[in-house]
Amino acid sequence: MSRKTTPSPGRLLVVDDNKVNRLLLGRGLEQQGHTVSFAENGLLALEMVRTQPFDIILLDIQMPEMDGYQVLELITSDLNLRDIPVIMTTAMEELDSVVKCIELGAEDYLTKPVNPVLLKARVNASLEKKRLRDQQRELVKKFATAEVAEDLQESGFSLGGKFIEATAMFSDIRGFTTIAESQTPAETIELLNTYYTLMFEAISGHSGVVNQMIGDGLMAIFGAPLPLENKEEQAVRAAQEMIEMINLFNTDLVSQGKLPIKIGIGIASGSVIAGYTGTIRRATYTCVGDTVNLAARLEAHTKVVGQPILIDEATRNELSSAIRVEDQGKVQLKGKVHEVNIFSVLVSS
Amino acid sequence: MPNTIIDSTTFEELKEAMGDDFIPELVSTYLDETAALIQKLREALAASQSEDFRRIAHSIKSSSASLGALEFSAQAKELEFIGKAGDFNQAGAALARLEEAWPKVKTALQEFIP
Repeated sequence: MSRKTTPSPGRLLVVDDNKVNRLLLGRGLEQQGHTVSFAENGLLALEMVRTQPFDIILLDIQMPEMDGYQVLELITSDLNLRDIPVIMTTAMEELDSVVKCIELGAEDYLTKPVNPVLLKARVNASLEKKRLRDQQRELVKKFATAEVAEDLQESGFSLGGKFIEATAMFSDIRGFTTIAESQTPAETIELLNTYYTLMFEAISGHSGVVNQMIGDGLMAIFGAPLPLENKEEQAVRAAQEMIEMINLFNTDLVSQGKLPIKIGIGIASGSVIAGYTGTIRRATYTCVGDTVNLAARLEAHTKVVGQPILIDEATRNELSSAIRVEDQGKVQLKGKVHEVNIFSVLVSS
Repeated sequence: MPNTIIDSTTFEELKEAMGDDFIPELVSTYLDETAALIQKLREALAASQSEDFRRIAHSIKSSSASLGALEFSAQAKELEFIGKAGDFNQAGAALARLEEAWPKVKTALQEFIP
């Protein structure tokens, strides 16, 4: 059985210089349960969309003061407004103008006199699109830095994947289960929240993006979705800062009579497959592939060698001389066919 | 007698879709708005503002078609083309014809108000 959801009401703006047209469109939309506001010219419309939230704009082309083309251009070139679908309302013989509007970024069109059935269908379709864009915008806000979110909004959302050169980082807390058993659940959650706050700050401070958090572990990516110059160096500097942060945090913990925490960080660079995964309702920006797996294995291997930060050769090769590394030789990592050269990074550089 | 000035099919459909209670408000708004627009057409003609003339005629055409005043809408469309061409030699006579037709549209629409 298919479940057809009835879209919930939206906030709509009707822009038309003719009062009869405003009245007719307004009535039709209010009958469908929407909240409708009106503007009688383009200037007024623009002022309204900049100060009030709208889900859809129904826009007439021929208006005094500022016509529909000008309004449309200003809306579609404004980062804060471009997600609002614009439906052009035009006379039947203006189809040439409609083509121009669609090229300028209009979502759809309706010819006047407006057919109530078509009005309902087009408005509901555009409302769905608006809601999806809002959800994506929220997701990107949660999972990406401000620059990345902006870039994604500029380039449009695409769920498709692509190969990107990036640096992947994994980090988690050593012996976390033991720590959790030694204190109350509230203390554990507080500890995790402090830990995440510190780690996020170190990572985003070096232009990285945290894209996964699982229990006491996290994954971050440098150089995706936006390209980042010296991503390897940025990732390693972020890791050093993370260790320094944890050391400071530990001073605090020990003074409260609590157990200090230890983290391990693995970093690898190379080609990753990046894109949005999940479903339309819940998607995250993800990176997968050999490079990502290697970073995860290196993180696990920090326990074996007793070093807080391990990196692969591709990362090491791009580092400046300011960062001191130690060759840990070749190791056979789980899931890898060949032995790989690994390096530890010294924290006080 | 069938009303040739207002297309009854269009008007009945409008009533059906919008609800009977909405019709008096719609008609009175149309009457006020259109009277004002015709006045503005006169002003645009006097000032030789062909772009304004075209846009106002377009507006009359659009709302008149919505209410089923199809012939009147077609006359407005003619004015729109005259404005577009900037041909003010014809504008005066065409506007006079529109002004002449207007009282008939008004009377015909009154019939639809209960």
